[in-house]
Formats: sequence, C-alpha cells, structure tokens
Amino acid sequence: MTLTAAPRATGTAAWADALLLPFAQAGYVKAEPAILQPAEPFLDLSGEDIRKSLYLTTDASGEELCLRPDLTIPVARDYLASDRCGQPAGFSYLGPVFRYRGGRPSEFLQAGIESFGRQDRAAADAEMLALALQATGAFGLSEVEIRTGDVALFNALIKALNLYPVWRRRLLKDFNRKINLAQDIERITLSTGPGHNEYEGVLAALAGSDRKAALALVTDLMSIAGTTNVGGRTVSEIADRFLEQSTLKSGALPPDALGLIKRFMAIEGDPGDAIAQLRTLAADAKLDITAAIDQLETRVGFMAARGIDTARTRFSTSFGRGLDYYTGFEFELHNKGNGVEPLVAGGRYDGLMTQLGAPAPIPAVGFSVWVEALTRLGRNPGSAS
Amino acid sequence: MSAPFVVAVPSKGRLQENAEAFFTRAGLALAKPRGARDYRGTISGLDNVEIAYLSASEIAWQLSRGMVHLGVTGEDLVRESIVDADKRVLLIDNLGFGGANVVVAVPQAWIDVRTMADLDDVTTGFRAQHNRRMRIATKYINLTRSFFASHGIVDYRIVESAGATEGAPAVGTAEMIVDITTTGTTLAANGLKVLDDGVILRSQANLVASKDADWSGEARETARVILDHIAARARASKYREVRTRFKECDATLLAEAHNRFGVVSPFGGPTSSGMVTLHCPPAQLYALGSFLRAHGADTVSVASLDYVLDRDNPLFARLETFLRR
Repeated sequence: MTLTAAPRATGTAAWADALLLPFAQAGYVKAEPAILQPAEPFLDLSGEDIRKSLYLTTDASGEELCLRPDLTIPVARDYLASDRCGQPAGFSYLGPVFRYRGGRPSEFLQAGIESFGRQDRAAADAEMLALALQATGAFGLSEVEIRTGDVALFNALIKALNLYPVWRRRLLKDFNRKINLAQDIERITLSTGPGHNEYEGVLAALAGSDRKAALALVTDLMSIAGTTNVGGRTVSEIADRFLEQSTLKSGALPPDALGLIKRFMAIEGDPGDAIAQLRTLAADAKLDITAAIDQLETRVGFMAARGIDTARTRFSTSFGRGLDYYTGFEFELHNKGNGVEPLVAGGRYDGLMTQLGAPAPIPAVGFSVWVEALTRLGRNPGSAS
Repeated sequence: MSAPFVVAVPSKGRLQENAEAFFTRAGLALAKPRGARDYRGTISGLDNVEIAYLSASEIAWQLSRGMVHLGVTGEDLVRESIVDADKRVLLIDNLGFGGANVVVAVPQAWIDVRTMADLDDVTTGFRAQHNRRMRIATKYINLTRSFFASHGIVDYRIVESAGATEGAPAVGTAEMIVDITTTGTTLAANGLKVLDDGVILRSQANLVASKDADWSGEARETARVILDHIAARARASKYREVRTRFKECDATLLAEAHNRFGVVSPFGGPTSSGMVTLHCPPAQLYALGSFLRAHGADTVSVASLDYVLDRDNPLFARLETFLRR
C-alpha cells in the first residue's frame, strides 16, 4: 500500500479506517470541506507570514483563493455556515493539505478532530487528549510523551498582577509567540527601548502629572498641528500610548512582579504537584487566579476518569504552541527520536469562531494528527496484527 | 555558432544611462547596430555577446531563471523577487549608482512610534482594539515579510501597491508603507516618517551573475574578459598614479607612505636613482605629495589612470567560486 495514494483511497485504506474508527465511535462526524478555500481567513488568523507557504490563486472576480493549508479553519467555516451553528457538534477529518515546506512534499495528509459548542470545557479538553492517545495507540505507539500546558493560567496571572497595559500586552504576546520569554522579561526589567527619544524631556515633565489633563494637552497639541493623516489610529489612541511611554520611562517592571512571573514559569512536572505549587504561589502573592487553577484541576480529574495515567503527562506553565489563537488547554504528543515535530498537537481556541464571524462566542477545541509521522513511525494497523 | 553570452541592461531612464556609462568607462562600448529602438545590442569588439535591454525587474527574474548570464539591476529587486537569492545569483559588485533605501514609514502623527519595537506594540494593540490587522502598502512583499518576521511582528496585513504607495495612508487604504526612497522628500510631503531602525535594505545597482545560466567553457571565458575590463577600470578609479624621483627615496620611506596613505607601489620599490611610480587613493594625494616633498622630492606628478590590468581578477575569482558551489 502506498500512502501517497491514500487521499483518494481513504475509504479503502485500512490504516485510515483504524485511525478514524475511534473518532466515529465517539460520535464525531466525518467532515469533508472544500480543498479550494478563500485565502482571507487564513491570512487574517495566521498573519502574513503564512503567505509564503500558501498556494494562492486569484479568480476572475478578483477573489484570492488558496489550497487549504490546514483543516481547522475549513471545518469551522462549514460548521458556522450550517444550521447547527452554535449547537454542540463534533467533526473528524482526514485529507490532503497544501503547504510549501521547502523540499518536502507540499501536499500531505492531515487528520484530526474539532469539537464545537460544548460548554463542559474541562471534559471536552480531556476527551481530546483521550482520542489523540487512541489514535497513536492504533499505530502501536503507546509510549508517547504527553506535553500539556494552559495559556489561560498565564493570562490570569498577568491580569492579576495589575501591570501597565504596555507590559501586559507585551508579555501576553511573547508567551503566544514562543520567543524567548525569559530573555524578554529581563529586557523589559531593564526598561525602555533602544536609542534616544526626541521627546524625552516632554515625557519626563509629563510623568506623574494628572493623566487626564496630560491626555487633553497632547490631544489638543495634535489638533492644533492640524494632524490629519493618522493612519487609521485615533488622535486619542496615539496620545494615550505616547503618555504610556512616560510611565515606562519612570521605571521598569516592578521586581516583585518579575519574581512572581519567574516563579510561575518554573512550575512544571506532574500535574498534581503543579496544581499544588500554583495554589501556594497564588496564596503567597494574594493573587486571584483560583478560577484558572480550578479549571486545570477539573480537567486533570476528567483525564484520570478517562483512564489516562496523569502522572505520565507532563504539565508546564510555560508550554505554549506559539499560535496566538489558543486560549486554554494545549497539548502535544511526541514520539522519541522524531525531533521537534509532534505526532499530534491541539488545544482550545475559544476565540476562533468569533474571529471567523460568529455573532457570539462558541467554545472550540481540537487537534491535528501528523499522518506522515504516525504512519512512518508506527506499525501499520492495516497489516496483520 | 553557439548560444550567445547574454548581458541584461536596464532599458530605460537613469538606470540605463548609468549602466551604459559604466560599461563605456570599462572599455565595453554598448552598441545597437539595428538602431536605437532595438532591444538587442552588442559590445563592440566582443563577438558572441548579446545585450538584452529589459526592465530592471525583468532582469532580476531572468537572472533567477538562468535566462541571462550577467545583468545590471537593483539589489532591492534581487532580494524581493528571488527566493534564496544568494544561492541563485551572485551580486558581483556594487556599481555606485541607483542608490536608494527600502524603508518602513509610518504617519508623522504617530509621535509614540519611533522604532520597530514600538510598531510591534502598536500593531498588536490596534488588532485588539479594532479587530483587524494594520495594513502595509508595498510592492516589496517578501522583503517586508522577512523584515517584520525578524522583528517578531505578526499583527499586520500586506496590501499590494503598484504605484503611489506613499499616498496610501492618507487615502486610508493602508496604515503605513514599505517603499523605496532616495531623499525622503516624497515621504515627508505625504506626512510620513521613517522609523529609526526601519531601513530594510540599502540598495544600489549591482552587476549580478546567474547561477543557472549556461556556463560553458566559452561562456566562462567571455565572463572573464568582461569582468577583467570591469576590474581593471574599478582598480584604476580607486587610485591616481603618482611619480617622482629623488635620491632619498627608499624602501623605508615607501613603507611609511604605505602605512600612512594607503599607497601601493605596483612596479616595486624605487630604482637606484630613486625613481618610483605609486598608486595612491585620491583623498590622500595632497598629503602624499607634501610627504614626498618634505623628504626631498623636487617634483611630484599626479595623473589619473584609465585601466589597471592586474594578473588577479577578483571579480572573476568570485564568480568562479560561486559557480563551483
């Protein structure tokens, strides 16, 4: 059997059946979204950087289309357009996706699960991990490494620390983008950006003055100057951030906040221990992050109830998948010796549906299976076993 | 007759004038034997060389495809339109004209934005507040994408702009731009400012070689001859010839002149009568003249050089190394 032929023969490929059967048994309906998709949602949600890996075309009406680079957004769009939109619904998929990968084939298979509309989030999260483990198990890969994290905890911490908005924005962004957060924390501790600021004197004079009055002053000055070309930003937006720089000038990230962030980021290991450490940290610093910790604890409870040996899972507060649409639980399954590429990766993205145009938030969680890695490393479930 | 060796030259404007002047100075006179409106030309005295007059962007594209051997085009176009440019083409030499910077420019009214780090913060804040990404008008899609990626900026969208890019923020089709500028006057006239660390590329016209062109032995020999002309001219323009004769002139004195003025003595040390020919960078001429006279020279003559033909051909050596890779 050749795997490259599988996209056209998923109905008959035994390994495909073995992969999808547990999903079907759990009530997930096979989704088969169009291969040709509007490019806009992908560019809008993933940013311009994805453009270099997209196969783009423009049709006669001028609309930009692409071959689907992944299946989450197509499945979500079909769901949003259906009459079940807003209702709980689960989908599975297996099919080709198209991405330029510099030398490796651009057309490759992706499988996965999407669960939309379930309000029992912790249970749905745990179900994702259980199904993902079934998928790898079907290929004989039972000794996978389970890495988990929860970006909601970091968000809760930053919110509770009551930092200046500019620091809050920056820390959240760094966490999501998976650049070296520790390094950046050091940098903002040392305060301010590079180079000389021509407004330094003005900023120093405004520092500590009444914010409302200062804002009015800067806004007036800009209006007097006849500022018209503001490039989509309002004058008050500009004035507001301008004044924010005077607060930045007057000092760096408070050392106690820095200490707490570092202590938080160091928490990892067995989920039970991690929960205990998080509760101690919250109590010590009198931070209200209880709701996020409770959610983590409930999720771990559901995992255990699904027969997952949670002591085998590794929880890390600093685990993030580097994609800013995740909002909570995140996980990856790794096989030893497969480098950085996971076998399965997924998580919760409760913000995705509204970004795709849903009028009200719809919970969403799911995962993708790296079919190439799974079929290469695992035993073929279609062969005599 | 075998396939011609093709050199692509810009087909219009200042770039064409400068490129033709450059070749002429190197002793390679471009000719259009079938009339001025022809898009094919020759180099007088070099058989089997064809000059292809093309637009600068077409030259970059044809170089990447190996359709021409050598070409004159802007580094901005090479970096923008050729993926993995350094593997597929070689920038043999800067030509000293066509200079311009590709820059990130934002409205002057953004008094809170001076650096790319500011822009990173502002783009993220904008997305959170307005539920859409900031737009950048540009024709440099790839340069923009990789520059922004190197600064970790992700919350933006590119709006392709074929012309009058600097007007986009004022008409509201984009919030900022990435564009090429020489003096910055047009940017200022449109109420835009360049970020402190917003220079993506300092570009100028380059002589570029294609990796994928047909580099037969004959083609290499043609390239060697062309590059030899160019190198001889480049070497000549870097120096003036200084001649003098005085009996105190010796190796020690020349060593000092070398250290102080960057002088070279291409034909060796002084003769027994103290006669010497030196090559000196133009900026150091007067200082060298004073130095020589202070040590006993009665007369020092200075002349410009047309060509300096060296045994070594650094330009061709670079090309050979590149083609072997």
